Amino acid sequence: MERLIPYAELEAFFTGLVRTAQSRGITCAITSGMACVHFGVAATTKDCDVLCAVGQAEEFRALVAETELRGLRPNYRGNISPPLDARWMRGGWTAHFTWKTEPEEYCLDVFGTAPRASSVWEQELHDLYASRHTVAEMKLTNRPKDWPYVTALGIKLLGMGDVRGCLHLYSAETLLKTVRSQPIPAWMFEIRPTLELARTGDDQLAAAIHAEQVFWSHLDACRIRVYEQSLRPYVNAVRKAIAHRPISLAESHAIRIECAERHLVKSPLVAHGFDQLVQAARAETAKFAHPSLMEWLPKATVHFTGIL
Amino acid sequence: MVAQSHGSLYRYLVNKPPSLAEKRRLRKIERDFHVRAFGEELARINFLPEKRRKAAVAEMIDHARSKGVDLGRPALGVTI
Repeated sequence: MERLIPYAELEAFFTGLVRTAQSRGITCAITSGMACVHFGVAATTKDCDVLCAVGQAEEFRALVAETELRGLRPNYRGNISPPLDARWMRGGWTAHFTWKTEPEEYCLDVFGTAPRASSVWEQELHDLYASRHTVAEMKLTNRPKDWPYVTALGIKLLGMGDVRGCLHLYSAETLLKTVRSQPIPAWMFEIRPTLELARTGDDQLAAAIHAEQVFWSHLDACRIRVYEQSLRPYVNAVRKAIAHRPISLAESHAIRIECAERHLVKSPLVAHGFDQLVQAARAETAKFAHPSLMEWLPKATVHFTGIL
Repeated sequence: MVAQSHGSLYRYLVNKPPSLAEKRRLRKIERDFHVRAFGEELARINFLPEKRRKAAVAEMIDHARSKGVDLGRPALGVTI
């Protein structure tokens, strides 16, 4: 049996890819698990997520296509991946690539907008990585395992003197210990009202934070549902067109563009409406949370930055 | 509707370095949180110097994979 590629080699491979992209003038950055590892919050991952400026999707795709891992070139992953193309990236779609080495395959997810971001990720990069702030917002998912990473990154931000760290603390104990020594500006109370409960030491804080997590979880689940519904006709068309033939990434891309132009809504979230999505998540949260906690839920409409 | 951004505000708020005493206090809060959230062993790794920390994480990941732990994830067309 062939050996697995060591993590250190994978990390060097993906950082090398992003370094080469940046040297070609492409604005891009590693995010998610590999970024967490870099920032000092251990995560178990072997794949890589990369943010790439929407307008440079074509150049980045060309680079990915020519980048070999152990002598193998990549391809799109399965039928489900949308094309890496600015028109769909603007709408929040993610392109999935894979290097099918044996016995494991290694995946790269590329997206143009950072899910749940409240600021423009391109404005704040740390060398090869997205900012801690962006990475933390991307971890506001419907997976419970992601939440400790959000808080851990929030504390890191505070340690650097970045008061936005308070937006990411989802441990009542940690938030209470930190918030009173931070000069929190008014806009942060607006987008995360629970900070007021922390500032005043209100007994409702822990319950309000739990309600926030339930809300984010539902918001993410609602978001994914919207995308999944839009994806079905496209996936069927790609499956039919490729029909299990071995084809190159370039051929696969051309097929995906053709199918996407006919079947894939460019921006399902815009078509659905951000406000409707937030309202749906609030309604789901209301089934669980005490009515007195609803006023402390975040104003999540600022968390769709970049989606057009 | 185009989503709003607070990006332009951020640059005026960040990077006022905390005092040494505040840094120490935050470090203690951080360590306590890591122990609670990730457990003693991961907390220990997370506070190692960068080179040793990355080596320890790599060893942990490689060990898990060698024992058959699947660290892959589904392709959904939309990043979770």
